[in-house]
Amino acid sequence: MAVSRMRLQRITLQHFRNLAAAKVEFGGARHFLVGPNGQGKSNLLEAVGLLTALRSFRTSDARVLIAHGQAEAAVACEVEHERSGATRVELRLRPGGKEVVVDGVAVTRLADYLGQFPTVVLSSQDQQLVRGAPGLRRRWLDLTLAATDPSYLRLLQAYHRALAERNALLRRGAAVAELAAFERPMAAAAAPLVAARAAGLEHLAAQLARAYSQLAMGASVPESAGFAYAANGAKHVVVAAKAGGAGSPVAPPIPSAMPAGLQGAKEADWLARWEASRARDLQMRTTMTGPHRDDVDFTLEGRPAVDVGSEGQQRSLVLALRVAQAHWFQEHLGVAPLILADDVLGELDPGRRERFWAALTPGWQVIATGTSLPTDEPRAWQVTQVEAGRFQPVAADGRSAL
Amino acid sequence: MASAFESLQAQLKKLPGVGFRSAERIALHLLVEKPEQLPALVEALRTAAVAVRRCTRCGQLAEADLCPICADERRDQGLVCVVEHVPDLVALERSGAHRGVYHVLHGKLSPISGVGPEQLNLASLLDRVSRGEVREIILALSNDVEGEATCHYLTSHLPPGGEVKVSRIGFGLPSGGGVLYADSVTLRSALDGRRSYS
Repeated sequence: MAVSRMRLQRITLQHFRNLAAAKVEFGGARHFLVGPNGQGKSNLLEAVGLLTALRSFRTSDARVLIAHGQAEAAVACEVEHERSGATRVELRLRPGGKEVVVDGVAVTRLADYLGQFPTVVLSSQDQQLVRGAPGLRRRWLDLTLAATDPSYLRLLQAYHRALAERNALLRRGAAVAELAAFERPMAAAAAPLVAARAAGLEHLAAQLARAYSQLAMGASVPESAGFAYAANGAKHVVVAAKAGGAGSPVAPPIPSAMPAGLQGAKEADWLARWEASRARDLQMRTTMTGPHRDDVDFTLEGRPAVDVGSEGQQRSLVLALRVAQAHWFQEHLGVAPLILADDVLGELDPGRRERFWAALTPGWQVIATGTSLPTDEPRAWQVTQVEAGRFQPVAADGRSAL
Repeated sequence: MASAFESLQAQLKKLPGVGFRSAERIALHLLVEKPEQLPALVEALRTAAVAVRRCTRCGQLAEADLCPICADERRDQGLVCVVEHVPDLVALERSGAHRGVYHVLHGKLSPISGVGPEQLNLASLLDRVSRGEVREIILALSNDVEGEATCHYLTSHLPPGGEVKVSRIGFGLPSGGGVLYADSVTLRSALDGRRSYS
C-alpha cells in the first residue's frame, strides 16, 4: 500500500482543560512546544491525540477535558492528507457525550471514523505500560487493533456489552437460563477477539523486535524484545514474531508452540468455560474469566521485562513499543502517523535520542513538548513558546517571530 | 399560570419523545390556538383507553380477544414471526412478505435495564408452542447482544427434538443499495450471510 503523508496544519481549542481559547499553526515536519510546566503544552498535545480514537491518552473521564464551569469543550483540527486533501475535524465534548463532525458531516459510528488520523503518543506515563496493571496493556492493544480494524472494534464492543449484561445478572443472582443466554453472544465475540489479539501480537512482535534492536544498539548486542500473551486464563506464552512479516527482527524469533486453548479456543470452549464457572461467578458477583482478563507482557529474551529489564532497557522497550505501533498504523492504514512526544525527549540520553530519530520513518510529522529545546538540533524544529495558555511562534534564532 | 395548564403540560412531558418545550407547545396548541380539536382528541383517548388491549394470543394491539391477524384464517397460524415491538410488526406487515402470524415480546432481555423473561411476553409464546399451534418460528429480533441473547433464551425453552423449526432473519445490505455506501459492519454481516448463486 502506498503511504499517504499526513500533516496537522492547525488546531483550534475552546474551553479545553485550562485553555480558554488557543490556535496553533503547525504544518512543518517537526514542531516543538517549549515552556515551563503547567502552561498548557500537554493539554494541547492531548487534544491532538483525540484525533485518532476520540479518547484521551491521559484520562478515561472525558468530563475533565471540559474547562471548569463550561458547558462544552471544542477542538477543531485541520489535517492535510497527501492523497485525500484537506480535512477539517471538529470535536465537541459535553458531559453527556461527544460529537464529531468531519468536513461538515456528523460521524454517527465510531467504526466509520477510526483509522483515518493515526497518532502515536509517547508520554512519561508510558513506563507504566511495562510496570503497571494488565488493564493498561490490554487498553494499549485494544486501541492499536481497533484503530486499524473496525471489525475488531465491533467484537470488542459486543463482548463488553454482553459481559456487562451477564455481570448484571450475576449481581442479581439470576437463573441459569438467563446467564446461558448472554454467554452465547459473549462466546461469539470472545473466540475471534482472542484470535485477533494473538494474530495482531504476532505481527506487532516483529515490529517491536526491530524497533528495539535499533533503539538499544548502544549496548553492544541488543536483547530481543517481544510479547508474552496470557489469554483464556492460561499462562503467559511468548509470542513468536511472524516470520517473513514486515521488518523481520534482527534477532531470530523465539520459537514457541501455541498451546491449544490459547489462540485456538472456539466458541464452544468459551461456552463450556463460563458454564463451569457459573457457581463461582455467582458467588463473586462478577465474571472472573474471559478476554477482559487477558494480559500481555513485554519480554526481553523471552523473559518478562518487568523482572529482568534494567531501567534503561525498559525505557528503550517502551519507546520501541510506540515506534512499532506507528509502523503498524502506517502499514495497515496506509497513512503516515503523527508522533506526539509529551515531555519524553528531554529525558533521553543523546545516544538514545539519536537512535530514536533513526527508528522513525522520515516524513512522519512530530510534535514534541519540553521545558527546554533539544540541544543537539535546535534548528530542525519549528518552535512555539507556551506560557499561561498562550502559544507564540518563535523564529529559528530564538527571538519571538512577532 | 393556571395549575390545570401546568398539570396538562406535566402529563404531556411524560410521553416518549416529548420534552418540556414540546409539552408546553402542545398544551398551548390544544387550549389556545386550536381548541376546536380538543373534544375529538379527548374522545379518541377515552375510546382507545377502553377499546384497545393486547391480543390474548400474540400480544399485538387488538380491539377484540384476538387481533385482526390472529383472527384471519387465511394466514398461516403455524408460522410465527417473533418481533420485539409493535412497530416492527407494522413494518413487516407493510412489506407484505410474511404470510404467517406474529408474536410480540414487547422488548428484549436486558438485565442492565432490568428486563428479564418475566417482563417479556414470552410465556404466552411457549404456551402456544406447547399447545402444538406452532410449526415454525422466525426470529425477527435485532442482531445486537440483547437480541441474540433473547433468541437463545427463547430457543433453549422450546421442546427438544426439533419439532419446531427455528430460523433467524438475515442481516445485510438494503435493497437497491450499493456496496459503496454500506458501513463496514453491515458489509461484514452481508458477506457472512451470503447465499449460493445459481
